Formats: sequence, C-alpha cells, structure tokens
Amino acid sequence: MILVIGGIASGKRSYVVSLGYGEAQMGCALYDGKPVLCGLEEILRDGALDASAIEDVRSRAVVTCCEVGMGVVPMDASERAWRERVGRTCSSLAADADMVVRMVCGIPQTIKG
Amino acid sequence: MRALVVGGSGSGKSAYAEQLATLLSERRTYIATMRSEGREAAERISRHRAQRAGLGFETIERPDSLAAASATVRGGVVLVDDLGNLVANALFFPDGSMADPREVLDRLDNEVKGLARAFDHVVLVSNEVGAEGLHEQDSTNVWVRLIGALNCLIATTFDEVTEVVCGVPCQVKGMLS
Repeated sequence: MILVIGGIASGKRSYVVSLGYGEAQMGCALYDGKPVLCGLEEILRDGALDASAIEDVRSRAVVTCCEVGMGVVPMDASERAWRERVGRTCSSLAADADMVVRMVCGIPQTIKG
Repeated sequence: MRALVVGGSGSGKSAYAEQLATLLSERRTYIATMRSEGREAAERISRHRAQRAGLGFETIERPDSLAAASATVRGGVVLVDDLGNLVANALFFPDGSMADPREVLDRLDNEVKGLARAFDHVVLVSNEVGAEGLHEQDSTNVWVRLIGALNCLIATTFDEVTEVVCGVPCQVKGMLS
C-alpha cells in the first residue's frame, strides 16, 4: 500500500492521478472496493477503525490522508481526540506501508520506501 | 549528542525520541513537562508512562523550568518531553496573566544550554504547531511564535534535528536517519 499524506490542497489527489488512477477508481468510503481510498481523516471523524475496517484500508493500493496535527491543539476535546486518532492511525498504517509519500506544495517527497 | 525531535499531534515523536535516548546511554533521565490536571492529561501521562516502562528512565517532573534539573552534573542522556508544555507553563500564569515572551525565550534557551552542560546527551521533543494561519486569540499566537522561535534557536546549535511524520523519522539536520 502507498500512503499519501499532506496538508489541505497540497496535491495528494493529483499525485494519485499521476500514478495512473482515474476518478472512477477513487472513493472516500470504507468497503467500496476501489483501489484508492481518499480522505481517511474524514472516515476517522466518528472514531477509531475496527479490525475489519483496518483490514479494508490496508488492502487498498493507495490511501490518502490529510495531515491535521501540525497546528495548535484545539480547545474542543473531540477535535483533539480526532487529530490524535488521525496521527496514530497514519503512524500504524505507515509502519506496514510499502511507501509513504508526503506532499509539499504539490511535490511528492518519499519518506519511506 | 544533542538532538531536537519535532512533530505534530500523534506523529510518534515521543516514541522515536525514547528509542533514540535508549541508544545514547544506559543512564537515562526523563523530564516530564505536563501538569497533571484533568482526566485527559492524566490519560496522556499514563500512556507515555506505559510507553516508557522498561526503558530504564528516572522520571522527574519539571513543568515550567529546566534549571533545577541541570543544577548538578548528572551525565548520561536526558529526554525532555515536551517543549510545548514547558513554553505554555512558563508563558501563561494561573491567574490568566502572561509572562514577557522575550524573557521566556531567553530563559528557556539558557536552560537548554544548562542541560547540555549537565548531561552527556540531550534529546528534546518539541511541537510543530505553526502549520495553520493566525488564531483569533493573540495569546495563542504568542505561544505559537514562541515555540517556533525556540525550535529555531535550538536547531542552530543542536547536532540533529528530526521531524517525525506518521512515525517515520525525517532528518532535517545531522546524520541520523
């Protein structure tokens, strides 16, 4: 699996297109059977992934996730928990990923693989 | 070795810094900077304690100053986790007033230099908090700027600067990888 991370509008989706995937192959929901899962951070809004959801995410060719933990820690407890959840889920996925690519100003930086 | 480890929330920066510290020396001191107030802080502290358990750190709590920790030469490695708490605790007083940020910056910079004299190796964990625009509260912006400035100051003299992203260490300065 290739994990693609980066801030909002950093070029994650364009990078996925450059890998040869079309819009029809990208989805933003669990269990949609598509090779590319876009926007993992929104899936994590409701809580941590259970074992079968993790398995679904790991089975994808590409997963994109917004980096959300690099600003000020929010006042709202649920927002804080969500940021932590996104960070820890990405750390766990990155440990097993074949490649981790971080987008900076539209430029892919391969930080693993 | 003097190493600065930065990262966002949940990036794995603490775990990386702990692993680095255990490689540097068998004599390990851990300076905890979080004040144990409220359930969330307690949970975070206990999660960090569990993560450190078995790594052989002597833990001392210094939520707002590093001076006492470096008053005697201790040797070995010291790990400070993290500077964000330290800066917030030094900047914001319980009565709602604020310290002079320039003085806090100078004091903490000097205290970091003190650590480098008292210990053979220093590993500092700091926070990446400036990757958003300005905030509504001026005091928040002062804190963000102060952490950024302190990180920059420390990075000029430290041997290693590592950003941890999704648990992956990305070297910014130095030879570690």
